[in-house]
Amino acid sequence: MIHVRLEPQGRELRLPKACTALKLLRELGLGVNSALVIRDGELLTPDRRLNIGDEIVVRTVASRG
Amino acid sequence: MKCRKCKALAAVALPSHNTAFCPDCYPVFVRSQVERAIHRHKMIAPDDRVLVAVSGGKDSLALTLLLHELGHDVHGLHVDLDIPGSSTDARAACEGFFAKLGLPLAVVELRREGLAIPLVKSRIKRPICSVCGKLKRHYFNKFALENGFSVLATGHNLDDEVSRLFANTVRWDASYLSDQGPVLPAADGFARKVKPMYRLTEFEIANFSFLRGIDHVIAGCPYSGRASFPVYKNLWSNLEERMHGAKVQFYENFLRDGRPVFAAWAEHREDPLSPCTVCGYPTSAEVCGVCRIRTMVAAESDTPGT
Ligand SMILES: [Zn+2]
Ligand SMILES: [Zn+2]
Repeated sequence: MIHVRLEPQGRELRLPKACTALKLLRELGLGVNSALVIRDGELLTPDRRLNIGDEIVVRTVASRG
Repeated sequence: MKCRKCKALAAVALPSHNTAFCPDCYPVFVRSQVERAIHRHKMIAPDDRVLVAVSGGKDSLALTLLLHELGHDVHGLHVDLDIPGSSTDARAACEGFFAKLGLPLAVVELRREGLAIPLVKSRIKRPICSVCGKLKRHYFNKFALENGFSVLATGHNLDDEVSRLFANTVRWDASYLSDQGPVLPAADGFARKVKPMYRLTEFEIANFSFLRGIDHVIAGCPYSGRASFPVYKNLWSNLEERMHGAKVQFYENFLRDGRPVFAAWAEHREDPLSPCTVCGYPTSAEVCGVCRIRTMVAAESDTPGT
């Protein structure tokens, strides 16, 4: 399983198999420029591979007034 | 992906620039974008005292850090809106950040002005976001002028600018189109306003804030749900995904070709500004917008049962 936490909504989900950061964003309906993909405090570009056991944070980019 | 500069593993991919950067080189790229904007539009002179309008969000805090690192004389101003579940965190983020950098921060409390946003919202029928924006602009400008700041800088990014420009274009609002841009020169009763981050997208600033460990508030304003800007922002991010560079082109080409035409038009019909008869601030009406809000809030408080 890959554990994914969505910020700031706080929603959690699990993916059964390995994929790329791009695939994850697509699955969440997000564009490549609308969220940060973070693993262990490191930013991942869309081509990076996500592996079983990873803890991923997807932080959507939205500013406040 | 590899970093364009040093070939290390990239952390940030930027399709609109057709490039990618590692965690060390990316902040340098962001700083150069801001430096270029300041230089190209002559935004800030070396001897300027700069007041940065800070909300506690990533954009205004990133701007503070960048201007400080570029060697400018930076002070912050935060307007505490007194919105429950939002304003305390926003203010704390600003105070913590400025304390860490050792920079001065002033806070204007709307509650002390009798204009706490929940009170204003309960008394005024107009959309609260526009009223809140008007109040913030008023106090930023007033503070800058009364405390000897030559420049007022805001953290507006390319997405803010494009969605605002697009909203004005959808309405063909010529008077707004005539003076929208990254620099508003000082005028009678108005401080010089600059937007040094206008070439950076929200995504680009978010990456910078993450890499530089900027502790900002993430949650949005609880009242902003019905604003029209998010609609335009989504529309433009879809467009940008298909046409890399569309945002910056739309904006830069407007500045170059569109704005001068509207500015020439506006010269013939601009309402002259005169001092507000209540507070003395420049306005095109007899009484300025903020004083009208004040009067409405006060009048409603005298009416029982509202
Ligand atoms: Zn590098
Ligand atoms: Zn007034």
